[in-house]
Amino acid sequence: MNTDLALQLGVQGVLLGGIYGLIAIGLSLIFGVMGVINFAHGQMMVMGMYISYWIFVLLGVDPYISLIVVAAAIFLLGYLIQSSVVNRILDYPEAMQVLPLVAVGLILENTVLLLWGPDHRSPQTSLSLETIWMGDVMVDVSRLIAFGLAIIITISIFIFLKKSNTGKCIRAAADNRMGAVLVGIKVNRINNISFALGAATTGAAGALLIPLMPLSPHLGHDFTLTAFVVVILGGMGNLIGALVGGLILGTAESLSTLILPATLKQVVSFSILVIIMLFRPQGLLGGKK
Amino acid sequence: MKEKNLTGKRINRRTFLKVSGAVGLGVTATTFGVPTLLRAAPSPIKIGSIQPATGPLAVIGQGQRQGNQLAADYINSMGGIKSMGGAKLELMLGDSETKAEVGRSEADRLIKDGAVMLIGAFQSGVSMAIATLAEQRQVPFVMDVAALDAITQKGYKFTFRVFPTVGTFGRTACDYVKLMVTEKKVSPKRAVVTNTGDPFGKGQGENFIESFKKSGLPIEIVDHITYPLGIHDLSAEIARIKAAKPDLLFPVCRPGDSMIMTRELYKQRVPLMGIISPGSPGWYEPTVVKDLGKLIYYVMDNAPWFHPKSKLYQDANKAFSKKYPGSYLDGNSGYAYTGILVLADALERAGSTKPEKVLEAIRGTNLKNHPMVGDAIKFGENGDNINAATAMVQVLPDPDPMNRVKVVLPKKFAEADYVFPAPQMWERG
Repeated sequence: MNTDLALQLGVQGVLLGGIYGLIAIGLSLIFGVMGVINFAHGQMMVMGMYISYWIFVLLGVDPYISLIVVAAAIFLLGYLIQSSVVNRILDYPEAMQVLPLVAVGLILENTVLLLWGPDHRSPQTSLSLETIWMGDVMVDVSRLIAFGLAIIITISIFIFLKKSNTGKCIRAAADNRMGAVLVGIKVNRINNISFALGAATTGAAGALLIPLMPLSPHLGHDFTLTAFVVVILGGMGNLIGALVGGLILGTAESLSTLILPATLKQVVSFSILVIIMLFRPQGLLGGKK
Repeated sequence: MKEKNLTGKRINRRTFLKVSGAVGLGVTATTFGVPTLLRAAPSPIKIGSIQPATGPLAVIGQGQRQGNQLAADYINSMGGIKSMGGAKLELMLGDSETKAEVGRSEADRLIKDGAVMLIGAFQSGVSMAIATLAEQRQVPFVMDVAALDAITQKGYKFTFRVFPTVGTFGRTACDYVKLMVTEKKVSPKRAVVTNTGDPFGKGQGENFIESFKKSGLPIEIVDHITYPLGIHDLSAEIARIKAAKPDLLFPVCRPGDSMIMTRELYKQRVPLMGIISPGSPGWYEPTVVKDLGKLIYYVMDNAPWFHPKSKLYQDANKAFSKKYPGSYLDGNSGYAYTGILVLADALERAGSTKPEKVLEAIRGTNLKNHPMVGDAIKFGENGDNINAATAMVQVLPDPDPMNRVKVVLPKKFAEADYVFPAPQMWERG
């Protein structure tokens, strides 16, 4: 029986990890390009969740289908935030970059509270209760889909950055901003696009979470923190690192239930973080600085 | 005659005094029923209401606030505090953000702004912090909801509690389980207890286990799982529960985790005879009942509850649903409502807002007409309501989600018969 339990926990951990990864990819992308830590990240995800929820309740469109619309909406939101706030603070000391973004997060959180109220909402979507059984081990379909899409989204962003013109400009701007300006890249516009892209993946993650957890306006902080830990684990600015970090964190948290009380979950994740910071300060897949 | 005097060219001082005095007396007499001297309207009595209006408990916190407000409105619409010249109650709002230190500073702010009494604070940890402050500042504090026994065991003079204590919850929950197991002639063998990691969750969970062991029920508690408040994922915990093979699950939850838990129990197909909460939110809120649909059917909760058949409750609930569409006065907001009634009743008898007078009046409370399950509200030596009771409520199938939560025990207050053991979640069509 205990092997079954361990197997079950392992499967759930890996799937949960994929979602953690997807949430963190955007944060990693934004940090990688601009060196700014987006403290409004979780709140942007919650915004995505509510837009998706709204589309579901008003139009009956499943979150998996409205995903594109949600990503587009949060893309616009991200573009707006970058062009109005973040571009102005890029050259400020790090401590000063934190506050405007925390403020953006607070504004988003309270906007959601104002628009949708404080209730926990958990609409029943078409696949939210579907499961696949492999022997005695249950695989949650909505988690599996979220996991699959997380990997697909990561790979597409990866390819976009490597192959497309805009992607190459983003990488150039990330590598050397002055150099990019000198060869004629409109760096501010590139920054806007990168931030918007990071935001869009987060919005998409939000939509994928709808079948999995009740939404409430105050979810944001926890996910900003989780994403932050995942990004540091995997290496700041490294997209594949974010996915790997997510998987490690998800699996470790899930398996820890075997031996530790659930209240110590966070101790597990932060212990892993501390150990990685001690032995590989640049993160698992982070390059040398 | 009067008209002539008033419209005439000359009104001498005496006539004016006579007429205005008569009019004044008449107005006062018709408004208050007692001939008092004409004077300015009495200044409102400020009551500080501290509730977790934002943060993870915002849903409940807002409901608590609304319960307080509705009762204050009710008292005001009935003419205010009559012994104080019809003084109106004015609710001052504080938000604890679910944090003890914030709750305390909010209470302090309200006292500085003129609050002569405090009500709140839903969470035991926050209430404890406010109780300490109330003692220092000598401001009476009535806890409408807060269950941890320890708050009233420190010898505080200014703190009172309308709500049942954790000890009461544990004892009554076991009594109800015993009754159901005997009546239905079933013999569950194993049980799992879960609770959130905040002071209320831990207190409620641990106390229930203690009462359970004392109760002599032939059921073994095979696992006890604690997880943090505001958790987003319970898949691992439910896997552990499934591995423990329980017949009964006793969860102490909040609206967020109760939803995750129910869905996860369904997905992992955990067979159970019943889900019986020893007393916690998360199982009867309208949004929860509506969103979980059939999955939440037959869940029982040993909750502080309103007396569904009482006229006072029905009227208050009607007003509540009208003012806040989509919600109803539940066990928690009902106690928020009752808390204000207790304060108003005490003010009426004290005829003053002086702390010592109010204190004495609260101690002498014997409030029979209140909207909750339980006998007249009376405070014991330590400030607890000695007649506070709980009801067993169950979510039963009904086309209208607002009409699914029914009192099933004690029989004296019951609206429906309980269903136990419950059919499995995945066998409900």
